[in-house]
Amino acid sequence: MNKKIFLDPLIDNNPVSRQVLGICSALAVTVKLEQAIVMTLALTFVVTMSNVIISMLRKYIPSSIRIIVQLTVISTLVTLIDRTLMAYMYDVSKELSVFIALIVTNCIVMGRADAFAMQNKVKDSFLDGLGNGLGYGSMLILVAFFRELLGFGTLFDFRIISPQYNNGLMLLAPGAFIILGLIIWVQRSYTSYVEE
Amino acid sequence: MKNKYVFILTLTFVCSTLLALFSEGLKSKTLFNKELDKKKNILECVGIDIDALSNVEIINSFSVNIEEITLDISGNVIDNITHDKLKISNDNITGESKYYYLNVEYLPAYISANMNALIIPISGKGLWSTLYGYFAIDLTNYSTVKGITFYQHAETPGLGAEITKNWFKSSFIGKELYLKNELKSIKITKAGKANQSDLYEVDGISGATITSRGVEILLKRDLLKYQVYFRKNK
Repeated sequence: MNKKIFLDPLIDNNPVSRQVLGICSALAVTVKLEQAIVMTLALTFVVTMSNVIISMLRKYIPSSIRIIVQLTVISTLVTLIDRTLMAYMYDVSKELSVFIALIVTNCIVMGRADAFAMQNKVKDSFLDGLGNGLGYGSMLILVAFFRELLGFGTLFDFRIISPQYNNGLMLLAPGAFIILGLIIWVQRSYTSYVEE
Repeated sequence: MKNKYVFILTLTFVCSTLLALFSEGLKSKTLFNKELDKKKNILECVGIDIDALSNVEIINSFSVNIEEITLDISGNVIDNITHDKLKISNDNITGESKYYYLNVEYLPAYISANMNALIIPISGKGLWSTLYGYFAIDLTNYSTVKGITFYQHAETPGLGAEITKNWFKSSFIGKELYLKNELKSIKITKAGKANQSDLYEVDGISGATITSRGVEILLKRDLLKYQVYFRKNK
């Protein structure tokens, strides 16, 4: 059971490719692998911790104000991350800044807090958060891998392909849409999931 | 019923205390980063390649290459007022920064004798945010552009935020500000419409007309303030 909570959002029920959530940031921060990885770590931290905290408080949270409580917890965590990046990874924080702040509005985070952590035990909520964060991140990293490789011809700024073969389209939003579409196609034919 | 208010108040109190402590604890480190980033931008602006330099090397390079100067509004160099004494006041509508010491306005600038450049701080409104940056010009003719950088802004990534990209910044290098003793400054055209051989215009950013226009306006406004100094030293 526990294993399923963790693995399910990684492949079968991936928040990006199956539920099509968090697309905005998946398009925005996938130009380079480094940004995608930092975003993955940040989001995984936020969704895991918010799940744990909400789950610990779930018996005391008055249901009429539960959304406000979730938002307070999530925005506190996001601000912590934002400040940490500003202190220790200033350049990355400058590139990501607005998107880090926007983790607050990432529907995956609140979705998991409300749909899962409000009803489940701390340990399960932890696994669910971790699974969803990494499920989201794996898609981000996959998209960023192709975009950086085809767009800049580099991986982690290390040159792989000569600049003359770079494809500028990959650096723009349509490039991300195309790659994300292809990934969703591959993933859905693999899990044979059909939208009803 | 009462329980609800107690709960949310306690939670808010805990969260805000935590954030305040955390933010205060990291403050010195964040300020150091911001200062370092300004130094990087000033060095980059005069054409020093900073990518290969470590933090320590950047601080060294800055102290070797760059010298602070403070001018009064008639363009005289004032020796005993360092930049850290100046208080910044920002105009919320135009984004213009003014610098005061004891209620008198001064103009901070930097000189790099090694790179033959004068660097002035620039700021002004883009689309969403105030843009802050540096602009470097030739120290002998006060007309040839050496470079431009922006170290702080909140423009849209991929659109207005292109002002920090190399293609945009490098298009200014080698352009001229003066035409027969008159400050023409640099015009930012629509994307792709600039005449490359025209020394007074550069390409704007496609999809970011307001940011581009903002850069054009702030540049001319800030250059006009320093013009008295250019004239004196020409």
